[in-house]
Amino acid sequence: MRLSFPYMGPTIVYKKLLELLGHDVVMPPRPNKEIIDLGVKYSPEFACFPFKVITGIYLKLMEKGVDTLITSGGHGPCRAGYYGEVHKKILQDLGYDVEIIVIDSPHDDYKYFYEVVKRLKGNSSWLQVARVIKTVYQLTKALDQIEKKIEILRAYNDQGTINKLWIKAQEEFHQIQTTAEIKEIKNKYLNKLAEFEDSIPAADERYRIGIIGEIYVVLEQSINNQIEEKVNRFGFEVERSQYLTDWIRENIFPFTGKDLEKIKEKGEEFIEVGIGGHAQSNMGHAIDFKEKGFNGIIHLKPFGCLPELVSQSVADDLSEKYEIPVLSITIDEQTADANVLTRVEAFLDMIKEKDYREVL
Amino acid sequence: MRKRKIGIPRALLYYYYFPFWLRLFDELNLESVISDNTSRELLDKGVKKSLSEICVPIKVMIGHVLNLDQKNVDYIFLPRFHSIRKDVVFCPKIIGLPDMVKHSLPGLEAEIIADQIDSKSDDIAQFANHQQLAETFSIPKKEMKKALREASSFWQRYRNLLYQGYLINDFSRLDDLEGLEKLISKFENEKQLPQSQRKDIVTPENEEVVDIAVIGYVYNFSDQYLNMDILNKLKEMGVRVHTFSMVAVEIIEKELAKPRKPMFWEFTNKLYGAAEHYFKNDQIDGVIHLTAFGCGPDSILGQILDVDAKEYDKAFMTLRIDEQTGESHIITRIEAFIDLLRLKKENK
Repeated sequence: MRLSFPYMGPTIVYKKLLELLGHDVVMPPRPNKEIIDLGVKYSPEFACFPFKVITGIYLKLMEKGVDTLITSGGHGPCRAGYYGEVHKKILQDLGYDVEIIVIDSPHDDYKYFYEVVKRLKGNSSWLQVARVIKTVYQLTKALDQIEKKIEILRAYNDQGTINKLWIKAQEEFHQIQTTAEIKEIKNKYLNKLAEFEDSIPAADERYRIGIIGEIYVVLEQSINNQIEEKVNRFGFEVERSQYLTDWIRENIFPFTGKDLEKIKEKGEEFIEVGIGGHAQSNMGHAIDFKEKGFNGIIHLKPFGCLPELVSQSVADDLSEKYEIPVLSITIDEQTADANVLTRVEAFLDMIKEKDYREVL
Repeated sequence: MRKRKIGIPRALLYYYYFPFWLRLFDELNLESVISDNTSRELLDKGVKKSLSEICVPIKVMIGHVLNLDQKNVDYIFLPRFHSIRKDVVFCPKIIGLPDMVKHSLPGLEAEIIADQIDSKSDDIAQFANHQQLAETFSIPKKEMKKALREASSFWQRYRNLLYQGYLINDFSRLDDLEGLEKLISKFENEKQLPQSQRKDIVTPENEEVVDIAVIGYVYNFSDQYLNMDILNKLKEMGVRVHTFSMVAVEIIEKELAKPRKPMFWEFTNKLYGAAEHYFKNDQIDGVIHLTAFGCGPDSILGQILDVDAKEYDKAFMTLRIDEQTGESHIITRIEAFIDLLRLKKENK
């Protein structure tokens, strides 16, 4: 069994998880123009952008002799819950003999879930599995902690210097085996970043932008045109609504997600019931960002995203009621870098201008 | 006291449930006002007030809501369809529709009644699904339940006729209860079969009659403006038209039990089941997937049908409609499709 998985966010985490369980893992390629073109060619025209990107990644992986793909499932109403089944059809139709393992909730199909878990567990004992999950979770938390610092410091320092540190940290995390090592690397880089702390200005001179939206385009820098770096470039800090830790907490340790529940509740003012994806939570996050004193919200969504179209429809009202500017950006295979840059620049200018006038 | 007016937008699931609602409001002694048929003007208004990349059916719906508001209704009836089958839901945009209307149309004067619909079957007549309605008009529970029962049995009669092979369009131009009642009774006692079942169909130039299954949502194949009246055009060209609403529940259930994981959208599943049934049916010559621009569930369904049609060797075509579809292109495409089916039949 030669395994791989879709590329999303800090992929080391999934790789480590499968590797520590003793599988032969192939690292998926980072999405680029070639992969996106490939995906667009073989996906339904109106499928959402993440679907197309993943199609491209799968097709690229076929060249590397991967025979098993692992992906998450779901039960709607967002389309992402059905990606796996459709990808299976597309790959089979193209003549690839590949198995796609979809991790669905045990509630849907208990037997299938059990089979999947048994196969992924391999020869490891349950104790080992528990240890691996703990290690991986620590790793995710460490990565997110460093990234949050990066997203602040990059606004006030040379982007290259900070990015280099971030890349190096990720490389070192690739080698880890134990939780002790994770801690060591984490502290090392947090210390290095602490040297830049002096560059952060006084609280009332800081500008902060919250990024909300569909999880794939929010997490995956390679397809969202490195929006965070763009925002940082103009001296604005960023924070996202989604980090991988949140995703893991929501999906694997549901009982730890109390604070996420609270944020979701805030969103009920605008979207009364769950409509799939993170639409409702995103509205909650927007309100939460405002309450934390953020200056603006960037809302990212793939073209035609079902839940996020609803949140975009209500976002104007939210923006008015809570007096926080919201910029919605739609991402798809035709999104041009210059377009995103121009819109972000205009948006940030507007925020500064507004602030300046208020001071006068 | 003046009767309070409650508006029903003629969009989305209106086509599936309108006899139910008309009867319900009549029983409750409310004056129901239905929005006008979709027109250029109505659609343009909807387009203007919605996001450009949202699907056409939602734009149509927004147009109808605005149309009702102009008619000075006191309330707009916009139930939040959440689920009418265990573990199966509606498209996010349909679930979130009341939120979109409330927060993106600030000038709306009418009050929105948005009861959440959670039912175990297509029959939505449970009291829990109409609590807000009952509260708004202070209707006692007992009275409400009685009205719901009446409405439900009236709707069942309509639904049965659809199963027998009538098209929604055979009814949907009527919007007064009296006329609808007469029509339903007339069809129930009719000796002649509905068009989809009739053997003795004459085509303009005595060409062979073909059977086409139009796979699409009620709001796409029944909105005669939006779809350029495609069903009547097909009929005029000598086609017996079949739709998912004619396929028995048991058949759809049987088809849905086959895949390891069926989809999780209510009407998408119904379309899938019906399409698989028609693919296997030798009487059906071709299948048209009628979809609207920007439909999310259809992007998934379309891909599956595309692959499956190849497997069953059935002629298959996708027609996508949007707010600016030109009529001539639809005609050209269905003409070509029918010609192909006839040619295929002759060569057999």
